[in-house]
Amino acid sequence: MEDGEIEEEGMMIDGNGEDAQLTSSRKLEKSAYEMLRESKSSIEEIVAEMVAIKREKQPKAQLRELVTQMFIHFVTLRQANRTILVEEDRVKAETERAKAPVDFRTLQLHNLMYEKSHYVKAIKACKDFKSKYPDIELVPEEEFYRDAPEKIKSSKLSNDSSHDLMLKRLNYELHQRKELCKLHEKLEQHKKSLLETIANRKKFLSSLPSHLKSLKKASLPVQNQLGVLHTKKIKQHQSAELLPPPLYVIYSQLIAQKEAFAENIDLEIVGSLKDAQTFARQQAVKDTGITTNVENSKLEDDVPDDDDDGQRRRKRPRRVPSKENVDQAGLYQVHPLKIFLHINDDEISNPKCAKLISLKFEYLLKLNLVCVGIEGSHEGPAKDILCNLFPDDTGLELPHQSAKLLVGDTLVFDERRTSRPYKWAQHLAGIDFLPEFSPLLARCETPSSETAKSDAVISGLALYRQQNRVQTVLQRIRSRKKAQLALVEHLDSLMKLKWPALDFESVPWALHTPLCSLHGWSPVGPASNSASSLPSMDIEQIQEHIDVNLDGRPASKEELETAREDGELPSLVPVTSVENDVKLIPSGQSSLIHSRQLALISKSIISPISKARAQSFKKYDDDSELLLDIDSDVEDSAQIDADAENAASSHSYELTKKSWVDCGVKEFCLILTRKMSGNEKILKLEAKIKVSMEYPLRPPLFALSLAEDQHDGNGYEWYNELRAMEGEVNLHTVKMLPPDQENHILAHQVRCLAMLFDYCLDEASPSEKRKTTSVVDVGLCKPVDGSLLARSFRGRDRRRMISWKDMECTLGYPY
Amino acid sequence: MCGDATKWDENAYRESVLKEREIQTRTVFRTVWSPFNPSPETIVVASSDGSIASYSISSIISELPFGLSNSKTQHLLGAGPSGYLQGHDGPAYDVKFYGDDEDALLLSCGDDGRIFGWKWEEITKSEVPIHLQGNHVKPVLDLVNPQHKGPWGALSPIPENNAIAVDTEGGSIFSAAGDSCAYCWDVESSKIKMTFKGHSDYLHCIVARKSTNQIVTGSEDGTVQIWDCKSGKCVQVIDPARDKRSKGFISCVSCIALDASESWLACGSGRSLSVWNLPASECVSSISTHASIQDVIFDDNQVTAVGGYGGVVDVISLFGSHLCTFHCQGI
Repeated sequence: MEDGEIEEEGMMIDGNGEDAQLTSSRKLEKSAYEMLRESKSSIEEIVAEMVAIKREKQPKAQLRELVTQMFIHFVTLRQANRTILVEEDRVKAETERAKAPVDFRTLQLHNLMYEKSHYVKAIKACKDFKSKYPDIELVPEEEFYRDAPEKIKSSKLSNDSSHDLMLKRLNYELHQRKELCKLHEKLEQHKKSLLETIANRKKFLSSLPSHLKSLKKASLPVQNQLGVLHTKKIKQHQSAELLPPPLYVIYSQLIAQKEAFAENIDLEIVGSLKDAQTFARQQAVKDTGITTNVENSKLEDDVPDDDDDGQRRRKRPRRVPSKENVDQAGLYQVHPLKIFLHINDDEISNPKCAKLISLKFEYLLKLNLVCVGIEGSHEGPAKDILCNLFPDDTGLELPHQSAKLLVGDTLVFDERRTSRPYKWAQHLAGIDFLPEFSPLLARCETPSSETAKSDAVISGLALYRQQNRVQTVLQRIRSRKKAQLALVEHLDSLMKLKWPALDFESVPWALHTPLCSLHGWSPVGPASNSASSLPSMDIEQIQEHIDVNLDGRPASKEELETAREDGELPSLVPVTSVENDVKLIPSGQSSLIHSRQLALISKSIISPISKARAQSFKKYDDDSELLLDIDSDVEDSAQIDADAENAASSHSYELTKKSWVDCGVKEFCLILTRKMSGNEKILKLEAKIKVSMEYPLRPPLFALSLAEDQHDGNGYEWYNELRAMEGEVNLHTVKMLPPDQENHILAHQVRCLAMLFDYCLDEASPSEKRKTTSVVDVGLCKPVDGSLLARSFRGRDRRRMISWKDMECTLGYPY
Repeated sequence: MCGDATKWDENAYRESVLKEREIQTRTVFRTVWSPFNPSPETIVVASSDGSIASYSISSIISELPFGLSNSKTQHLLGAGPSGYLQGHDGPAYDVKFYGDDEDALLLSCGDDGRIFGWKWEEITKSEVPIHLQGNHVKPVLDLVNPQHKGPWGALSPIPENNAIAVDTEGGSIFSAAGDSCAYCWDVESSKIKMTFKGHSDYLHCIVARKSTNQIVTGSEDGTVQIWDCKSGKCVQVIDPARDKRSKGFISCVSCIALDASESWLACGSGRSLSVWNLPASECVSSISTHASIQDVIFDDNQVTAVGGYGGVVDVISLFGSHLCTFHCQGI
């Protein structure tokens, strides 16, 4: 029923034209509906009546009536229902008809909507479109108005004013750019032409150095002639800048000393500058991690004018550097630059023999050490000249702790190296106050820290000058070298078994003509380890030398070998074999002895340190045997025992003394013989002479012993005399000499020893009895008499007294 | 050390080297135990540089590194003296103590012909630090040997004193001098009481024989003479080397010793040692040794100390073993 209503309403809304029809159907419908309702209510009434009847138990006859009525109502109901259904169908058809136009309209709407959105999109796309000119940087508007040519300004390109302006501006831009392009081309051309001229000039410049060089070369003789070593000096100064700081200090201070005090020295910087430069650069990179442009450019600037230098060096045999490269591995890395110092004699005017010694200073980078070696000499003894230049400075020990730590276990400096890190060299290099950085780095460091550091360096240098280090060292080296030269001279004359000459006459022994003869002089195995430091090459050299010498007696070398194989100590060989020679060979064949001795030298050089020590132990053994003998003799002779002990102990005392003193010690054995006048006995005095490197500051030490061949004596008979002689030679002779004779100490000592030996023997031979000189004055005055006792001994140690008169000495006093 | 390249003092270094050598060549001529101690404790040493130094044995032994005392190869201990006197010019030959109580005098004689007497107490009690010692104590006794007069007033050199002997009861000091005389000095007056003249060469040693008021002297001439102190005359001449001298070999009497009973005399002459019975004046035994004899002593004491070359002092016990050996260090 409700559906019908809604449709009815809809119909009423939709259409206006069908109102009439509608109302008619409505009337109809209404009637059906009313009919339905009426029948319903009447049915309900009937049902209610029926129910009432039933309840009131009225007769059923009434019911019948009622039922018939009821049925009538049912028929109307059905009729109404049918009309309603028909009506419904009709309404439905009507609705169907109305729906079609509605659908059409909806479709139309959708189409329109789509169209609209399409247009909107298109508009948006148009709006978003960008022109290409906003990217072009245009001349600002005012400038355009100001600068643009009229032609562009006046033309009208578009109706839109702003667009027109824009176009005009663009045109102007284009115009301008074209102009610029033209200009660029022009400039490019100009540049090309300029480059060409530059190339031409460069060509000229590059040819210039060779011209200049030839000019320079041509000027060299003139420079030499005039004594202006300008070129060389400048070159040296240049390379000095590349020196590591310690070497630079040495160089600068020595140069300063030379220029200020006219010190007679020459300096030279040797080594490849190129290497030094690359090294400095490496160092800079390593230390800072960054290389500043300043440095690089500076270094680069330096390179070209050193190039020719390097080339010239390359022409020399490259063997030396390659050898050094091997060395450079590890701790002993050497800075490529070295300083050569030629020390000349400051006294002698003769320019030929003026050169005393050449030293080579080199710098070990890792260890921060300055090493010194002697240039041009590879012999062992000469190498050691520099050792103990100052006390306790053997050059075998590393001078400072940090280096020791670096080296680690091997606390001793590599002995095979020809140069050694002497302490004085470190002092000379000022390593004690120099900071550890390279000079190139110092330049780019912050100014504050640099000034602080340079302050320290300046004060260090002031102290350095105050201490006169340069002067001290030079003086010491000179005196050392001179002393060594004097020593070599004396040793030579002793080697030839000649008495060393003395030019100083105001000492007793200088005037004494020795009665004893200089029988033997042979070097004994070195007591120090200096021998082992000899490179093996040298030994071979010497051996070859011997072979040449010994060609007369080829067997002797084998003899020596066998002697060694027998287990005999090599260091003992020299003494014994020399004695053998003495017995066998008459004195005429001294040259042969000489060659033999040469052989002995080489032997003793080869013998290692322990041998020397063993020798002294052996000596000690002898002593202890004596001790036993004496002990068994008499109890009262304990004193002798003590003396023997003393003898032994004084040797051991020598041994255990600070080892640095023994560094570079040369030991010699001197044999003096004297034929006793009374009988055939030949007395031999054997002196072991230790010449230390510090000669003459530390005078040679004599240890005397008496070798009596056919005598049962063991030396103790002469014990006191020998000790007295030792004391005299070792100490008092030295004290008597004036300072300017210092270098000849050894000669004086030997001569003094000879004199003492002579006088010692004079007494030992059965001598004249003691004299008393009585004087009687025969003359006019009152006779005087009296006597003076002449004595030749004095004191408990029976010291011999020697009167030294004008030209000779006599035993005893007061003659 | 005298510096390196920075502070170089060459002269100081040269002197230090020479000083070291001086110590090396020093000879100890006599050692003596200091008095008033039940056990010997301090040794006084006279050495060839004219110094008289005292060493305390106990402190030396305590300084000795443990376990090294008997090894023969040891480095000899350098011992610093506990007292030091720079006494004589030239070697000091002998030291003796005069008396053995608090007032004991330390007597020393030397090559300069002087005998010095120091108060021992002053030396031991001295507060002066050892490196400043030397002249800090003035000698209370200073005796100088007389010089001989030659023609025209020429004076001989002052003879040296080689040995001294003391007689505390008589208050006298006997000295064996280099002018072949022995002198008897009076301690009180510092004058010569007696001169014993008769030896033909200088005297090496002298011993006082108190029981008979005699002295015994040994001389370079090879004889031993016994003198009477009262008369100053030679009582007896002993010539130990008489038979040898005939062979043309002379040797001096370098040392003599008397035993406790003062009737036995040992004298060392050259390389032979002979023992004499004095009352009988005959040689009882004679032996020869390998080396010339430096000193003899009758060994009734516990320990003996001897000195030797190189500034070495050796302390030897009864059995001949070394108690300790040390170097005298200079100051």
